[in-house]
Amino acid sequence: MIEDDFYRTSSQFRLWSFAEDSLHSLRQNTNRLASDRVRGALRRAREARQSANSSAVGTPNPNGNDADSKLGEEKDIECLTAEEEQDLVRYFCEQIVQLGESYKPPLPTIVRATAIQYLRRFYITNSPMTYHPKTIMPCVLFIATKTENSYMSLRQFADGVPGDTTADDIITPEFLVMQSLRFTFDVRHPFRGLEGGIMELNAISRGLGLPTPHLPNQTPDDLRRFISSLPPSQNTPTSSSVSDRLARAYHNTREILKSAAQMTDAYFLYTPSQIWISALLLSDRPLAEFYLDTKLGGSAQLPESHPFTHLRTKLLTTLNNCSTLLDSYKPLASDADAKKAMRRIGKKLYHCQNPEKANLAGQKRVPTATAATAATASASDPATPESEMERLAKKRKLEGGQAEKHDIFGGELVMERTKERQI
Amino acid sequence: MAVSPLVSPSASAIAHRKNDATGASVTAQKNEASPQFVQHAADREITEQMNDEVRHKYIKTKKLGEGTYAVVFLGHLRTDPSSFVAIKKIKVNTEYRDGLSMDAIREVKYLQELSHPNVIALHDVFSSKDQNLNLILEYLPRGDLEMLIKDSNIHYGVPDIKAWMGMLVRGVWFCHENFVLHRDIKPNNLLIASDGEVKLADFGLARSFADPYLNMTHQVITRWYRPPELLYGARQYSGVVDIWSTGMVFAELLLRVPFVAGNSDLDQVTKICEAFGTPTEENWPGVSKLPNYVPADRNHLMPTQGREFFLRQFPTAGPVGADLLMSMCTLDPRKRSTAYQALQHNWWTTEPRPTNKEDLPRKSGGTKKMGDDLTRRGGELDDDQFKNAARQLDFTAMRE
Repeated sequence: MIEDDFYRTSSQFRLWSFAEDSLHSLRQNTNRLASDRVRGALRRAREARQSANSSAVGTPNPNGNDADSKLGEEKDIECLTAEEEQDLVRYFCEQIVQLGESYKPPLPTIVRATAIQYLRRFYITNSPMTYHPKTIMPCVLFIATKTENSYMSLRQFADGVPGDTTADDIITPEFLVMQSLRFTFDVRHPFRGLEGGIMELNAISRGLGLPTPHLPNQTPDDLRRFISSLPPSQNTPTSSSVSDRLARAYHNTREILKSAAQMTDAYFLYTPSQIWISALLLSDRPLAEFYLDTKLGGSAQLPESHPFTHLRTKLLTTLNNCSTLLDSYKPLASDADAKKAMRRIGKKLYHCQNPEKANLAGQKRVPTATAATAATASASDPATPESEMERLAKKRKLEGGQAEKHDIFGGELVMERTKERQI
Repeated sequence: MAVSPLVSPSASAIAHRKNDATGASVTAQKNEASPQFVQHAADREITEQMNDEVRHKYIKTKKLGEGTYAVVFLGHLRTDPSSFVAIKKIKVNTEYRDGLSMDAIREVKYLQELSHPNVIALHDVFSSKDQNLNLILEYLPRGDLEMLIKDSNIHYGVPDIKAWMGMLVRGVWFCHENFVLHRDIKPNNLLIASDGEVKLADFGLARSFADPYLNMTHQVITRWYRPPELLYGARQYSGVVDIWSTGMVFAELLLRVPFVAGNSDLDQVTKICEAFGTPTEENWPGVSKLPNYVPADRNHLMPTQGREFFLRQFPTAGPVGADLLMSMCTLDPRKRSTAYQALQHNWWTTEPRPTNKEDLPRKSGGTKKMGDDLTRRGGELDDDQFKNAARQLDFTAMRE
């Protein structure tokens, strides 16, 4: 099976495919490390504040209001759990769809899907407590415009991002993101597979089906008869013609690929072809099973001892698992409880954001001498967090807490504004 | 994985070949499982630690070349000083404010995915502390095909050409099989490993096949190697654009000078017409609808050239070789050979046999040449005259 061999050399298979439990433990590990880091950083921030307090005026206060920070000093800060982190990331994946929609013309589906997978990959080894998704989200979308041949200038791109996000804000984390992506940019999507499968089915329905090499007994006529006598699916009115049925199946499957396949762990756990066939199973099960029969022979056609019978059983288990995963996805917009939970997570994150990572300037790829020195200093000299803290404290003071005013939950802003635009 | 569609696929073949091909160089690091995340390096983020691990594997030794786009160093594995690599450090472009440049993104994107004996291997990528991108590439110390073509002291014959072309077409086939268009095939992008293996390099203009009906830019491929459909401004094209270039390399290997070397895009069209015939609706249905098509002067129509012409023009190729070349330089892209068809041609199995790669003609000074080749941007010719050829990529128009 040469196609499988090709897929196994892809970076998606080599670096970004996981067993369910190893994906889980990677995320737990990331969350644990980030939580430890946040607690340490907040302790240092407190110490820095105390020493600054002795010199009175203009106390820099990263926690917004005084009562809050006093309280924070007493009890240990509560960090996000790995599950909360995942919910948060999913929320920002949905934001990518919205943001992409707001451009004129809207960014192609493939660009948005790639950006979503970048964001999901990024947060396997990074925590939202370290890098807030609202700063990473526009950056992954911009990178995806470059890697998926939809390049526009950064300025033009930045104009489309609502709020006061500047071009600099967008490009600053680029290198950090690329490093977290381990410099692999290619994402293998299930969309093309779906196109091909539907073309095959259309050809079969017109009597132009080709027999699978392993099943030379199939004739185009048999195949055509089979496809026109399939039992109706739940979603298909009995009366519809085969071509209507195919068009509907195509549309519904593609919608699943654009939403559920993006927002769940499907890409990490399954191959592109498993994903699209699982989505087709959800939108028209008899049709999807017929498609598998054309490749592997139906259960009636083959004896139990045939290797395909075993392969088919195994494959169906995988496909059904993937279907279940896809079916479990509920968009946030249609889920009031999840929305409420998101607000709570947003507030929680506000208090457990790592203050030492608040400024990404050190990560920026700038050619000027001063910036380069600063970057080198911050990267190679982790032993001086105090001086870095002072610098950040000063910066916050200069900004006069501006950021906090409309920052209860930065992401919300994007969604609301995007909605306005769509109307 | 199959190295060619015509040999039986074997899982170990590629790893084995890779060791052969690179000689003293490193074996592929790409196939390693995810490295263990070191938990206790206190102040480094997980991804920084992973990056540090990669960076720590290599030692830079000396500079091999420097261009506007990149600096190339010789390096080796820390654990084995005899395992050479080329380290290509991509420069920060002060003019370009939009982050990592498209050339670099394309090169990294596609080389990460392509693993084949006739495609330059990308072993690793890491960032250095000044946030520069470093590509660890296969060490290819024997220069490129252009160097051999131009050096009149080097003598080579049809068996050598057959060996080089075989390796080139297998590399192109592999790219296309992975839905990647190279879009800059020319002799100085064909580098040579210590064992003589030819490697397709410089993926700065590469892209995946577009979905049907989506437009791509026609401003790609260095002019002398650019097919007529791109010169006519076609925005939808296939892998056979690379086959035209491959055919031009074939012709150049036979003649030892570029076969159709126009000094402007228009001149290139004229020279192609003179050499292969004037494209018309008869020999290429639909050609007159291409955006930059110029109707030919009725009085100067050149007839489409047949087999006799190719045999007369390229006598050394022999009738079978001339037939293969003709199939690669067919004007109508729909009738041009694909890489797969080219590999099935009977020239490969006709006498004389191709030279063993270890016995191919060689030339010293290749390391310097590799340094120069790897610092160039895609689409650039060394020649000043062509400095701006194919550089103005029209990205905005591709969003349609």
